This record gives sequence, structure tokens and C-alpha cells, in this order.
Amino acid sequence: MEQSQNQHHEAEIIPEAFSRTISDSLINKFFLEISSLTIFTLRFFKEVFKPPYEFSELIKQFFLIGYKSLPLVGITGFIIGLVLTIQSRPTLEKFGAVSWLPTMVAVSIIREIGPVITALIYAGKVGSGIGAELASMNVSEQIDAMQVSGTNPFKYLIVTRVVSTTLMLPVLVVFADAVGLFGSLVGVNLRGDVSGHLFFSQVFQNLEYNDLFPAFIKTFFFGFAVGLIGCYKGFNSNTGTEGVGKAANSAVVFSSLMVFLIDVVAVQITSLFQN
Amino acid sequence: MKKDTGNKIRMGIFISLGIALFLVGIYFIGERQQIFRSTFRVSGVFKDVGGLQAGNNVRLLGVNVGTIDNISLLSDTSVKVEIVIDESIRKFIKKNAFASIGSEGLIGNKVLIINPGTGDEVGIENIDIIQTVQPINLEDILISLKTTSDNAAHITSDLSNIAANIQSGKGTIGRLLMDTSMSQNIDSIFVNLQEGSAEFNNLINNAKNGFSKNLDSTLVSLEDILISLKTTSDNAFHITSELSNITDNIQSGKGTIGRLLIDPSMAQNLDSILVNLHEGLTSFKILTKEAKNSWLLWGF
Repeated sequence: MEQSQNQHHEAEIIPEAFSRTISDSLINKFFLEISSLTIFTLRFFKEVFKPPYEFSELIKQFFLIGYKSLPLVGITGFIIGLVLTIQSRPTLEKFGAVSWLPTMVAVSIIREIGPVITALIYAGKVGSGIGAELASMNVSEQIDAMQVSGTNPFKYLIVTRVVSTTLMLPVLVVFADAVGLFGSLVGVNLRGDVSGHLFFSQVFQNLEYNDLFPAFIKTFFFGFAVGLIGCYKGFNSNTGTEGVGKAANSAVVFSSLMVFLIDVVAVQITSLFQN
Repeated sequence: MKKDTGNKIRMGIFISLGIALFLVGIYFIGERQQIFRSTFRVSGVFKDVGGLQAGNNVRLLGVNVGTIDNISLLSDTSVKVEIVIDESIRKFIKKNAFASIGSEGLIGNKVLIINPGTGDEVGIENIDIIQTVQPINLEDILISLKTTSDNAAHITSDLSNIAANIQSGKGTIGRLLMDTSMSQNIDSIFVNLQEGSAEFNNLINNAKNGFSKNLDSTLVSLEDILISLKTTSDNAFHITSELSNITDNIQSGKGTIGRLLIDPSMAQNLDSILVNLHEGLTSFKILTKEAKNSWLLWGF
């Protein structure tokens, strides 16, 4: 009787201790992740200004990250401009304000939709690519081999990629905005007749530097976040093929989340300066 | 190596195009804000700017010629508006030009509208102060419109009631237009009057012819008849004068239209007058017949 009571007591204690261990380990893991990401970021800033500079690799990454993403970003931008125009028309028609369609779509694309959608596409394509590439290099011990051969893998692999993502995203966003405005022009002309001259005249009529510059500046931060997280996840992936997929997946998820977080902060800072 | 060079060239084109597009965007936005043009400044003082903001357009004859550069409060009753206008427009704006605040539409932005002034005056100078016209507040217009529409609703409601009353035969005009018994009454009055006056005429003639023969014996009876006749004719005169007054009033438009249209007592009065007249004339007819058949007037 006494023995069965003891067994029952033990059965109650074990799951409680088990769940506490799991929650403790999750919290620890979270803080550990924050800590190692911070160290990774600080190491990046330490390495980025220190010679030697890997210019040829940097140019190569510009091409792979920037130029190669252009078709995807361009198609996305065009569709966003077209769809936004078609969707906004009925609402503006209710208010008799269809003539405001180019202005409204332009402000939406340049201020918010262009940068954020492009950054998300960028996180999906570039962030996952970098994460998977570095993780597979980690698995095949190429990074170790690089270190042994005297090349600084952090400088060669991480710095070049993060600088490329930071500098290429703003350029891609400019293209996406421009193509998005052309998409909007097509959208306006699906159910109306607005010349390109009139459309762009209306677009620039109500745009201000306050719309353009904050949106442009935040794209550098988006690009930096996508590159840094992709590199961090790939560079610190677990050994094994499983780690490659995990690194690619978590790079996309985490960098997309960071894009939105940066966007919220950017909006708050922008409105602070505008008021 | 060759592929590498090709990639680099494509990269260069891609980045150059991106930067060029960005610069084009900056140029066009700046162009609207007159950043890349030679400009001059004027300012105006308003009591109320009605939501005008820095960056809003300045219009001359419907053309955007500048922007609002700054808006600042001078005191608790005045606001200073600083305006930047394209230099090439200066020759069209005279010293006596004035500015007013308008709107691009019901839901549009505010704009500053410049009236260029008369042709004889000299042109406006840089940093001049332009005269201003206080803006009409949209709320004032809406309040005025509401009062007007309330009044219109009240008037149309009254007109509707009047039309309904006329249609249903209420009031004098209503009865005159709709009630057929009124015209029948008037017809019978005239017939009675005609008959009464003919018989009265005969009676007088007969009385004239035989008056001297039985003057003494009939004097008392005749006097009674004449008194009765006088009373009847007085009544008839009274009734006709009342009728005349009523018709005069209707014709000259005296009294309120509302009373004529709405008050049923008028129609009732008219009715009773007509009834009285009718009764008076009937009794007059009876009296004249009786007088004719009376033994006192035999032989007349």
C-alpha cells in the first residue's frame, strides 16, 4: 500500500520537473540565441572595417544577391502595383475620388508596400539561400578548411554577404517601386484612360521627401537584418544535413519577423520626426 | 574570366539604373517643391488658415506656381503664411494682388489661391507682404445650407397641406373650387331675387292705381305691410352688403390667405348668409303673395 503511494507521488513529481526543465531550456536557449547573435553582430562590425577587404567576393555577391534577385522583385513589384490599383478603385469610386488613385497607390508603394514586400521576397530568396549555403559549407567542413588555409571565413563569407544584402536591397526597392508604379499605370488604364504623363504628374504632385527618404533608409536596415540573420543561422548551424534545412528555414522565418519589427520601429521614428 | 567581366558589367548597369531611378524620383519630387528652381518669397497674414499646411500648393489662375513654405502663429488672432513662388511667375503678380485659401475639392487638400491684382500696379517684390482674404469656413456654409433646407422643407410641407385642403374642399377657396352646392345656392338666390323683384313691382303698380280709393281703410294694413316689407328689404340689404363685403375682401385679398384657406368658419358664415338671404327672399315672396290676396287690396 505504502509502496503504491510512493510510486504515485513519484509519477506526479516527474512530469512537473520535466516540464520545468523544458521551459528552462527554452528560455535559456532564447537568451543564448540573443547573446550569440549580439556577439555575431559585434564581430561583423569589428571585421567590416578591418583590412584586407574582399572586393572581388563582394562584387560577386552583389551580382548574386542583387542582380539575380531583380526578375523576382520586378515581377512582384509589378503585380503589387497592379493589384493595389485594381483593389483600391472601387473604394475611391464610392467617394468620387478616382483621380486620386495614382497618388494613393504611389504613396502606398513608396512608403510601405514596396520596401516591405521586397524585403520579404528578399528574405525568402536571399536569406534562405545564404543560410543554406553557409550551413552546407559548415556540414562539409569547408569553413574549417578555409580557416586552416589561412583565410578569415568570417570576413570572406559573412562580411561580404551582409554588406551585399545591406547595399543591394535599397537598389532593388527602387526598382520594385518604379516597376510597381508602372503596374499601377496599367491598373489605372484597365478601367480608365490616363496617359503616362498625367499619371506620373499626379504621382509626383503629392509625393514629398518625407515619403521617400524614411522608406529608403529603412531598406538598409531590412537588408542588413536579412543578411545578418541568414549568415548567423548558416554559420552556426548544426552539423548534419538536417541542419542545412533548419538553417534555411529559420533564416527566412526570423529575418521576415525582423523586417516587420524594424518596420514598426521605423514608422514610430519617422512619425516622431514628422510631428 | 570573360563571364566574370560580363557579370560585372551587368552589375554596373543594374546599380547605375537603380541610382538613376532614385535620383529621378528625388528630382521630380523636388521640382514640385520648387527646390531646383529660382524662387521668390512672399508672406501673408490670415486670421484663420482653415487647415492649410506647409507643402500645400499655391495657385495662380488655377495653375500651381508655388508651395507653402512655413506657417507660424503671430499672435492669438493671426497666422503668418510664408509662400515660395516660381521666379518666372513674379511678373504676373502685382502689388495689389491678394491671397485667399481654397480647397482642391470636398475631400482634397487646401490650396492658397493668388489673385494677380490689376494691370496698372507694379510687380510684387521679394519678401513682400501680400494682402489676404479670410477663408470661408466650410462649416459656416453647411450651417447656412441647413437653415435654407429647413425653411424649404417647412414651406413645401405647408404648400402640401394647402393643396390637400383645397383638394378635399376645405376652406373658402376649396369650397369655391370643389363644392358644387355653392354654385347651386348662388343660382337659386338670383332666381329668387328676380322673381321677388318682379312681384314687388306688380304690387307697387297695383298699389299706385287703387291707392286713392281705399286709402283710409287700408292705411293701417298697408303701413303694417310696408313696415314688414321694409324689414325684409333691410334684411336683404344687410345680407347683400355682407355678401358684397365678403366678395370685396376676397377680391382685395384682405385677411390672411391661411384663414381663407384653412378656417372653415368663413365658409360656414357664407353658408349662413346665403341661407338667411334665401329664407328672407322666400318670406318676401310669401308676403307679397299674401298681400296680393289680402281683402284689403282687393280691387287694386
